[in-house]
Amino acid sequence: MQIITHACTKCGTIVSANELESNRVMKCPGLGCQNVVRFDDLPADDREHFIENRERYDI
Amino acid sequence: MIGKSHLSMKGVLLSGGTGSRLRPITHTGPKQLVPVANKPVLEYAIEDLKEAGITEIGVILGHKGREEIQDLLGDGSEYGVEITYIVQGNPLGLAHAAGCAKDFVGDDDFVMYLGDNILKQGVVDLVESFESGDHGAGIALQEVDNPQQFGIADVDSAGNVTELIEKPDEPPTNLALIGMYVFSPAVFDAIERLEPSWRGELEITDAIQTLLEDGYAIDSHVVEGWWKDTGKPEDILEANQLVLEDKSLRKEGTIESDATVDGRIELHETATVEDGAVVRGPVSIAEKTVIKSGTYVGPYTSVGANSTLDGVHIENSVVIGDSIIEASGRIVDSLLGKGANVGSADEFLPEGRRLIVGENSQLKL
Ligand SMILES: [Zn+2]
Repeated sequence: MQIITHACTKCGTIVSANELESNRVMKCPGLGCQNVVRFDDLPADDREHFIENRERYDI
Repeated sequence: MIGKSHLSMKGVLLSGGTGSRLRPITHTGPKQLVPVANKPVLEYAIEDLKEAGITEIGVILGHKGREEIQDLLGDGSEYGVEITYIVQGNPLGLAHAAGCAKDFVGDDDFVMYLGDNILKQGVVDLVESFESGDHGAGIALQEVDNPQQFGIADVDSAGNVTELIEKPDEPPTNLALIGMYVFSPAVFDAIERLEPSWRGELEITDAIQTLLEDGYAIDSHVVEGWWKDTGKPEDILEANQLVLEDKSLRKEGTIESDATVDGRIELHETATVEDGAVVRGPVSIAEKTVIKSGTYVGPYTSVGANSTLDGVHIENSVVIGDSIIEASGRIVDSLLGKGANVGSADEFLPEGRRLIVGENSQLKL
């Protein structure tokens, strides 16, 4: 199973695609980081793959 | 060799999970921060990785306790390590957690350490054993009495793993996987090819099995000293015993002249054992805690910070901190959450115990 992640450009905290997708737009979970991270920050291919296989990333 | 630096070895420390078997203690924080001998379990893991020369550590966060864990560990500089946080979110399995660390790990090898585990001998030997040959992965094993209840490894005479079997009816060995692994970056390719198991998780044992099928040698290392998974209250008490037994304890606080203190005691410099109190080690007493007259603190007890014990008899217990315990009875084999208070009902009528107890608490009266 492909595991997709995104690194915050400000603090380097890495966020999984399932976390990004469930929030769509979120404050970076890095403590004290004010950056906003979005599911749309992921490359288009990754987003497409994730949405096509979404049920496998749920629990 | 202790302190040897591994230019290409990173650490991945798992700190997710719900901690459901440790409720109510985990209603207010993640299980990895429950203290053992007055130190959060997770700090033992950080120290073990550092001792093995691993200073770049990715900490995997689930849903619970993200802020508390970041609050405690910060950027790692207080521990002499560099921490990157990795938010896994949904608990999709250990192999998913490892997969989330792919960009952090890059082309390096890495140790994967379950953050609620604590083991006597650390990971130095596991890492050295892995590095002694050309291995795709290395797994830590321990002999168990009930192999039917564990993931079991079969190994050849050279210590290479030949098969992994989950809870076998007819176990080929009694060597159980204990949740400490070393991986080469080849594991990421194996994880990409995995499918979720019947429970909807990407299983780390399936990833190792895939490496085996790909022809990689999988090293095994049998851990000789004790190992505890601190998932349940009784495990916390047992880990507390084991650590207090082994740890060198320093008595820096105040012991008044008519207090009785014997055995090995860790007493924070701001803690006090007052006249008329009895403390028998091994015991750990944290900062600003006061043991008052008429109190007995017996072996294998850890009392957290900012607590007052007055007149109670307590042994083989963990008091996390911010507690006032004034009952005159005996408290044994107990785990008291932060801010939990135990008073006396002696002067109340009608006679009886008076409880204000949170969800999922467990009492034996
Ligand atoms: Zn950030």
